[in-house]
Amino acid sequence: MMSENKVLNALKKMPPVVFMLIALIILFSVLNPNYFAVNNFRNVFIQCAPLMVLGFAQTLVVLTGGTNLSMNAVVNIVTVLAVFMALKGVPLVLAMVIAVVAAVGIGIFTGVLIAKGHMPAFIATYGVQNVFNALALTITGGASIYYNSDLYHKVYSSSLLFIPAPVCVVIVMFIFTWILLNKSKLGMQIRALGGNREALKLAGVNVVRSEITVYAVAGFLGGIAGLLTLCRVESGQPIVANGWEFQSVAAAILGGSSFKEGKGGVTGTIFGVLLIQIAQNGLNVIGVQAIYQSVLVGSIVLAAIIIDAVVRMRRRD
Amino acid sequence: MGKTILTAKHITKLFPGMKALDDVDFDLQEGEVHILVGENGAGKSTLSKCILGAYQAEEGEIIYQGEPVKFSGTKDALARGIAAVYQENSLVPYLNAAQNIFLNREYRTAAGLLDSKRMEKEAKDLLVSLNCDYINIKKPVKMLSTAEQQMVEIAKALSFKPKIIVFDEPTSSLSDREVESLFEQIHRMKAEGIGIIYVSHRMQEFPLIGDRITVLRDGRKIRTVGINDCTNEELVNMMVGRDVSQVYVRSENPYKEEALRVDNLYDRSGRVQGVSMVVHKGEIVGLAGLVGAGRTETAETIFGIRPMASGEIYVYGKKVQPKNPKQAAKIGIGLVSEDRKTQGLALRQSIAENIEAVSWEKDFPGFFVSGRKVEERALKYKDNLRIMTTSVRKACQYLSGGNQQKVVLGKWLNYDPDILIFDEPTRGIDVGAKMEIYALMDKLATEGKAIIMISSELPEIIGMTDCMYVMHEGRISGKLDRSEYSQERIGQLMMIGQEGE
Repeated sequence: MMSENKVLNALKKMPPVVFMLIALIILFSVLNPNYFAVNNFRNVFIQCAPLMVLGFAQTLVVLTGGTNLSMNAVVNIVTVLAVFMALKGVPLVLAMVIAVVAAVGIGIFTGVLIAKGHMPAFIATYGVQNVFNALALTITGGASIYYNSDLYHKVYSSSLLFIPAPVCVVIVMFIFTWILLNKSKLGMQIRALGGNREALKLAGVNVVRSEITVYAVAGFLGGIAGLLTLCRVESGQPIVANGWEFQSVAAAILGGSSFKEGKGGVTGTIFGVLLIQIAQNGLNVIGVQAIYQSVLVGSIVLAAIIIDAVVRMRRRD
Repeated sequence: MGKTILTAKHITKLFPGMKALDDVDFDLQEGEVHILVGENGAGKSTLSKCILGAYQAEEGEIIYQGEPVKFSGTKDALARGIAAVYQENSLVPYLNAAQNIFLNREYRTAAGLLDSKRMEKEAKDLLVSLNCDYINIKKPVKMLSTAEQQMVEIAKALSFKPKIIVFDEPTSSLSDREVESLFEQIHRMKAEGIGIIYVSHRMQEFPLIGDRITVLRDGRKIRTVGINDCTNEELVNMMVGRDVSQVYVRSENPYKEEALRVDNLYDRSGRVQGVSMVVHKGEIVGLAGLVGAGRTETAETIFGIRPMASGEIYVYGKKVQPKNPKQAAKIGIGLVSEDRKTQGLALRQSIAENIEAVSWEKDFPGFFVSGRKVEERALKYKDNLRIMTTSVRKACQYLSGGNQQKVVLGKWLNYDPDILIFDEPTRGIDVGAKMEIYALMDKLATEGKAIIMISSELPEIIGMTDCMYVMHEGRISGKLDRSEYSQERIGQLMMIGQEGE
């Protein structure tokens, strides 16, 4: 009896998105018997690797009470910058490292605008998005740029203990952000920034610095997501990540993170990202035309957010 | 009484356009509870903030443990042993008790990660020493009750091993039982030699914990008196600077007509169980009970905020069923809610906009609104209600509690409903403003409004009402007419739901 109750309690604590995810998978497997092929799930995990990492970054920002709409631009510019430098003769690996450093720089710049300039995160990050998207387009002249190397393929197709390399990166980033959030001083500050900024000030914390740090970390994660994307598309793509900035916010919210109270965490975000990715992938598998796909994915995400809100309201009662 | 631990001399603190503190002296001894009283804006908070290092005084000096000090900020004062328990919750909702207590002082392991075990153990020890080991240390504090959160705050203050603790209105959101256990802790701290500065409006609490009282008015110190050297009346006189022998006013009621009848009212969540009551025109009817007895819930059900499960409501003989506040207002019911900051007011909006808030449609049936008319109307209420402000365009968040409450009242007076429900209308406001609100309620009743008054303060509900219903666990446990009032009878009905033998 006890253990049954425990199971029930554990189920009750799960974010509603988990159940919606299961429902979605069942739906797709009914519509296409081949859906359950192992390969397909492997693909889902590989495909969503960059969005996963962005989702973790976005979760940190959401917990501080903000949104980072420049995450797509960070990914875009990282792919472009790395290829651009490689074309100018910089060794590809070094170019990648520099691109990630640049991503951190963008994060710091964004953080300064928000924390020091007292700009609403939504506006500041939207501005930053536009600036760096435009820069990426300028560098490439509006097209994709290519630098030939087998490094991309090596990274993307190798595996460790049967786990594909991109998924390994996701796991490492998950552990990194989880520890950051739950086992570090910064984590406490992140929850306080969103939950009760005044309390943080009273505790003598330099809130400007901690907020900037959060955006810097988000920039770093954006850089990693950028490298994952680069290895997948094997080119500098100035618009490859457009749309991910909102998808990552949606994933964080679906995963149970809240703007207001510093509530939530990166674990839930995994399910949020999976929901979005599985919706996309499933529509592919059951053969929905591309033009209808985004309508359906959008509707699924919207429905999920509504169901989630309703379930949470009920639970509170 | 121990030796003097802190002396503040000739403190003057200037704010733009005003002297918040003017040449104030104050001292605190070891193991003493020194109460600071005064109307809102008298300078209590400013003085305690100067001591806490949040403000730096322009003139005067603070001598702490025998030497003059100048704190650069709260962190500085905290490090030297001056801590505070704030009125507004200063906890982070989704951190647990231990994480909150050690915010920015986290213990870390050799690897640089948080040492949760050690923090949880020390937090547990602190809570045990406060007799609060029932508090779950691993739960986010959001999940704890208000009183438990307050205890966590106190544990946090104590974790700094302070010599002085400033309490700013600590009981304003606690129930009687919780207040009692808070006072127990304060006595314990006293016994350990901690000096306590206690800012409060609640005069009935003073004799229970205080040693000395300092009265401030308009930024000046009026007097410091021993707790037994002065009556409540004298204290009030000192605070408001005028004679207030007549605190409660209640005039004869010339009307007989039945305004509101509630029959066997149930809400859907089981907080209101079969409430029946009658309010006549021109009558002030009390709704007494402990916090959580269902008084607010009853009001909210009548006002259409809470869904009604069964029962009937009649307004002037006509059966009504308000499904939301808008319908309730149309019917002629107004609710001055308990929590003015989140329910009564749009804090960031101006006084004028707040006063107009429920009346837009009534005052401007067409498409256009007139800002000038709204402002004129607001000015009228500013004068009638004596709202202290330089402009009605000012956002409500900058007003003191008493003035905010007056804006909420102005909002309903402007709408002019027949039935008004006042839920804790004087909570957290100073005695001068309280008296103005009492006088206003009396005037409204005399003009023919029917009024329900919910209050946790027995003296005020006894003083202001013509009859009262007492609630206990969602039910009406008794009805008393004014001639039957006694603290004892009301208390029994509140606590045990019936009158004793």
